[in-house]
Amino acid sequence: MKMPLRLTSASPVLAFLFALTTTSCYAAATLTQQINPKEVNVGDPVMVTLTIQGGSIGNIQLPQVDGLEVEGTNFQIQSEDINGSISTSVSVNVSLIPTRPGNFTIPAFDIHTPEGDVLHVKAMKFHVLGNANVPSPNAVAPAVPSPVPSPAPSANPSFNPNGPVVMPPNNGVPAPAAPDNANSTGAAGPGISAPRDKDGALAKVFIIITPQTTEAYVGQSIPMQIDFFIRMDVAAQQDSLPTIKGSDFLMNDYTHRGHESEVSLEGQEYERETWLTAISAPKSGDFPLSMERDTYWNKSIAGPDLNSFFGGFFNRHADLAHESISSNQLTMHVHALPTEGQPAHFTGAIGQFNVAGDAQPVSVAVGEPVALRFTVSGNGNFDYVRCPALPDDPAWKTYVPSSRTDYMDESHTRAIKTFEQAVIPKNNGNVPLPAASFSYFDPDAKHYVTVPIALPAITVTGSAAPIAPASPGGETDSTMASAGPKAEFLPNRLEIGSLQTSLAPVYRRPWFWAVQGGLVLLPLLAALFLFLRSRFTTPDDSRGERARRRRSLQQEEDAMAESVRRGDAVAFFVAARHAVQLQLGPRWNLTPEALTLAEIRGRDPELAGMLEPLFTQADEVIYSGRAGASLDLADWERRVRTELLQPQPA
Amino acid sequence: MNVFFNPMRFLLDVFLLLTFSFFLFPSLLPADGIDSQLDDANRAYTDGSYDKSAELLQQIIDARGYSAPLCFDLANAEEKAGHPGPAILNYERARYLAPADPGIDHNLQLARKQAGLEPNSYRWWEIVLLSIDWTVWLGIMAGLLLLIFLAVIGTAWSPALAAASKIPSRLLKTIFRAIFFAGIPLCLLMGYIELATIGFNHRIEGVIVAPKAAILRLSPFDSADSIGTIPEGELVTVEDRHNDYLRIEARDHHFGWIQEKDIAPVIAGSFDVKPSN
Repeated sequence: MKMPLRLTSASPVLAFLFALTTTSCYAAATLTQQINPKEVNVGDPVMVTLTIQGGSIGNIQLPQVDGLEVEGTNFQIQSEDINGSISTSVSVNVSLIPTRPGNFTIPAFDIHTPEGDVLHVKAMKFHVLGNANVPSPNAVAPAVPSPVPSPAPSANPSFNPNGPVVMPPNNGVPAPAAPDNANSTGAAGPGISAPRDKDGALAKVFIIITPQTTEAYVGQSIPMQIDFFIRMDVAAQQDSLPTIKGSDFLMNDYTHRGHESEVSLEGQEYERETWLTAISAPKSGDFPLSMERDTYWNKSIAGPDLNSFFGGFFNRHADLAHESISSNQLTMHVHALPTEGQPAHFTGAIGQFNVAGDAQPVSVAVGEPVALRFTVSGNGNFDYVRCPALPDDPAWKTYVPSSRTDYMDESHTRAIKTFEQAVIPKNNGNVPLPAASFSYFDPDAKHYVTVPIALPAITVTGSAAPIAPASPGGETDSTMASAGPKAEFLPNRLEIGSLQTSLAPVYRRPWFWAVQGGLVLLPLLAALFLFLRSRFTTPDDSRGERARRRRSLQQEEDAMAESVRRGDAVAFFVAARHAVQLQLGPRWNLTPEALTLAEIRGRDPELAGMLEPLFTQADEVIYSGRAGASLDLADWERRVRTELLQPQPA
Repeated sequence: MNVFFNPMRFLLDVFLLLTFSFFLFPSLLPADGIDSQLDDANRAYTDGSYDKSAELLQQIIDARGYSAPLCFDLANAEEKAGHPGPAILNYERARYLAPADPGIDHNLQLARKQAGLEPNSYRWWEIVLLSIDWTVWLGIMAGLLLLIFLAVIGTAWSPALAAASKIPSRLLKTIFRAIFFAGIPLCLLMGYIELATIGFNHRIEGVIVAPKAAILRLSPFDSADSIGTIPEGELVTVEDRHNDYLRIEARDHHFGWIQEKDIAPVIAGSFDVKPSN
């Protein structure tokens, strides 16, 4: 019967998440939706999951439905690097609690993203059974993270006809409570007395541990609250966390910072730090349970001169005391799990669990995989929760499942563990999936529970692929059948190939970088050399000047040769004297015209002696305008070239 | 007798001797050593003794080193022996050594499929980047940098070089400048490609070899909460180490700690180096 829909006053779900990335800003957002499970009991949670890919969520308001209460909302943001670009998806999990049986429909609605996209959420239907006391195999746990551990088991559990009763009665230790607000006065909890000093006043510093129960089974996760109290006037900065004493218990890692609050106890203000965690015992027996913490507190504040200008502010210093503070000590009674009635597929899961299973798609061809998805939710030791067992079935090839655990509370005892497993049909027809089941031990009921998981029958089309030879020797491999006729392993290679002693790439070796660094250094050094060379070269000796002088010298030498050919002594001696001046000028940083014989004699008498015949003869010829008949110009040219125009030492 | 020492002649002789020895060296190995071992391994494989074949191939690799065919054959033997984790590990190693080999990728993807894992074939550009031979690359880089060095030095002595080589000084300078101005950008481009490629390849990867699946934990301690499992044969990236635990990133981008014994490095020994985050 379909129930009429009516809006109630359930609180709207508001979420402000802006998970924008480089790609998601520009790609159109897409939406996927899921509701799980499709059938639950009254009071069991139903999870609505909306996942927006490539966009962000502004404000989501689920339509209100009569008979459904929103228990809480959980968000997950996941980023994925696809070909170098980051894609972000945001998932919103809304946990709904049905308060009455019947068929429910959450109407279709729209989500408006901040980017302007409108995403259409289709209507979602599910059925709620009226039998709230029978554990539903398809129910999932609430998805709302809560720091509050589950209530303690009943102190006087009733006899359960389905299994052996082995746990002794609870000794009445109160369940851990959520961190109280600032005005709480009962922080130490009823029934637990805080330590006192010799004067009868409450201790300045103390720790109270409150496990959910002191009766447990081996491997059971027991939520525990740890409260650290320190009086305001002695409070100091702490640098450690509480640790468990001894090795009789294993404690989950702290997943959150301690919740800080202020409480008033017997008229004194205390700072309280609270953690919620879980412990488990690896062996049976009675064990003391206690914790300790390295603690600092202020013994006194020294040196405050209140009459000084700054009221003693700058010369105050705290006198710290340091001591390991122990908590109250409890005795935990740890019992071995009963062997009687233990299911074959029991993996050590202890707690209260709901299990759901699904298979997609329900119609495949032979050899195509079917994805099984199992969801185990509830309270317990999720480390020991394994994938529901699938019995061997010749009609199916099963693969190793992957798993993922999403913890819903701080103590890591409430979670949803999801398993995904691929199975492949070997035959065609309407093939039922193997009957899956999940077994756990319920510490409250004190007996083992095996939950059968209903999976749909799968319609398999096509025919089985022929079994192909898998090796050169002709062996066959039954696992090949599912992969189709082309899916054969290629045979061995017969050659050795080029061997290398290490797989480590060459760029992970220092010499690779040293060689490149050295090679890069070479041109840099060469450039530095050129720079220094040009910097320390005098301007007169610069390249342009030298080239110009070389050209002039060459011109004078050419003029000498030409005048010898023509027999023009005047032109020869003019050119010869100028050539010598060009050659010697830079030596003393003088212009060629300023270089007279007297000038040369004053600087280098020996050289002047060599040059004197040339300069004297040149003066005679130039001033007289003619040369004597005995003057051999060719001999003069040879002497000038070989003796006077050779490069002179600097 | 007129005997004098010619250093160039001596260097040439040494070079020829070394080159000859280099080509001769493989033939100096024990002739029936590695080949007979490989024959034994192949014989064991065809006889259906896959474990024995895998053992023999592993011995060859331990003694002589890795090669793509050896890793491929070892992977085939492990696959037949029913060890999907070691099989996929060795297919990955073979693919690392020969990224463009389609046969290796074929068997790897088939092994992954049979283990219930998603395909992870390389894209074309990944094959290009992974196919770079770094020794050849280093040779090209070295040649370029030496050319630039010679061009710079040659510019300083171009007149003398021009006089000695009878090449016009202007032409010589133009050649040196062309080498310099073409070589610098080419070197920068090659350096950029090198750094980008090394950055791409710098991930330290491992394959889950624990039977069936490995437990992923929230923190690197035996008592830490399990946050899931990773099936045997899955390829993961190793991010960090703490004692016997390695922090890994799975293909679905989940992070967690896994015991070192449950995972084997694709590049043997790479877990010994602390990864840089």
